[in-house]
Amino acid sequence: MSKENKDLSDEILVGRIKKGDRDALEEIVKRYSQKIYNLALHVTRDAAAAEEIMQEVFLTILSKIHALTHDAYFSTWLYRVAMNAAYGYLRKERKYTEQTVSEDLENETAAEYDWSSLSDDILVSEESKDILRTSIDSLPDTMRMVVILKDVEGFKNEEISQALDLSVPAVKSRLHRGRLILRRALGDYFRRYSYSGAEE
Amino acid sequence: MNCMLCSKLFQEYLDNTLSEELIHELNLHMEHCSRCRVFFRTYSLTVTLSRKVEQPCCPSEETMERLTALLCDKLCSLHGKRP
Ligand SMILES: [Zn+2]
Repeated sequence: MSKENKDLSDEILVGRIKKGDRDALEEIVKRYSQKIYNLALHVTRDAAAAEEIMQEVFLTILSKIHALTHDAYFSTWLYRVAMNAAYGYLRKERKYTEQTVSEDLENETAAEYDWSSLSDDILVSEESKDILRTSIDSLPDTMRMVVILKDVEGFKNEEISQALDLSVPAVKSRLHRGRLILRRALGDYFRRYSYSGAEE
Repeated sequence: MNCMLCSKLFQEYLDNTLSEELIHELNLHMEHCSRCRVFFRTYSLTVTLSRKVEQPCCPSEETMERLTALLCDKLCSLHGKRP
C-alpha cells in the first residue's frame, strides 16, 4: 500500500472507494478494523462473534457507501453501524434481558467507604479489573451496552442514542444506574480488600 | 443544593455540560458534605477505571486477509470489474 493513502483523510478515501479504488478500501479497513473488532469483542466477549460482526459491518458499509452523502461523516456512520450490529447480535444470540434493577442505589445512607484514596496499583490491579469486567458483564443488556460504549469505548451520549435508537435521557439514565452498580461492586471489593489486610 | 440533587449532577459534571453556576454550587456543597465528596470521587473513579478495562485483542492476520479479500471482491463486483 502506498504511503500516500495513509495520510489521506477519510473523506478522500471514501470518495475513492465510491469510484472502486481498492487501495483506498484497504486503507479504510486497516484504519478501522481494530476499533470495530474491539468494540464487538467488548460487547460479545466472544472472538468468533467479534470477527463475524466486523465482517458484517464492513460488508454493510461497502454495500451502502454510495448512499453516504457527507463523506466526512464516514467514521460516525461506521461506528453507528458497528454499535447497531453488536446490539443486534446481543438481541439475537443471547436471551435478551431488559430487567429493571430495582435497588435503592441512590439512597444509601450508610457512611461511604472512600476507596478513591487507595493507591493506583490497588485500584488498577488485574483483580480489580476482573471485578469490574465481571460486573459490567452482569448488567442488563441495554445498560451494559451503554456503559461499554460510553465509558469503555468513549462514545458520546448522542452517538449512542442514535445507534441504539434510545432517547438521550434514556441513555443517560441507564448509564447513571449502570455506573452506580459498578461503583457499588468496586466499593464492596475494595472494602473487603482493605479489611482483609494486604499481606494475606 | 441538597445531597439528592448533588448526586444527580455528577453525570453532567463529568460530561462537562454544567453551567459555571451549578459547578460552583456543586463544589460548595461538596466542601461541606463529606458523603457527597466521597460519592463523587468514587463515581468518577468508577468511570476512569471502566476506561482501563479493555483487553489485549486483535483479529488474527488470517482473518484480516480474508476480510480484505472478501471486501475487495465485493468492491470489484459492485463496479463490474474482475477481481
Ligand atoms: Zn451532600
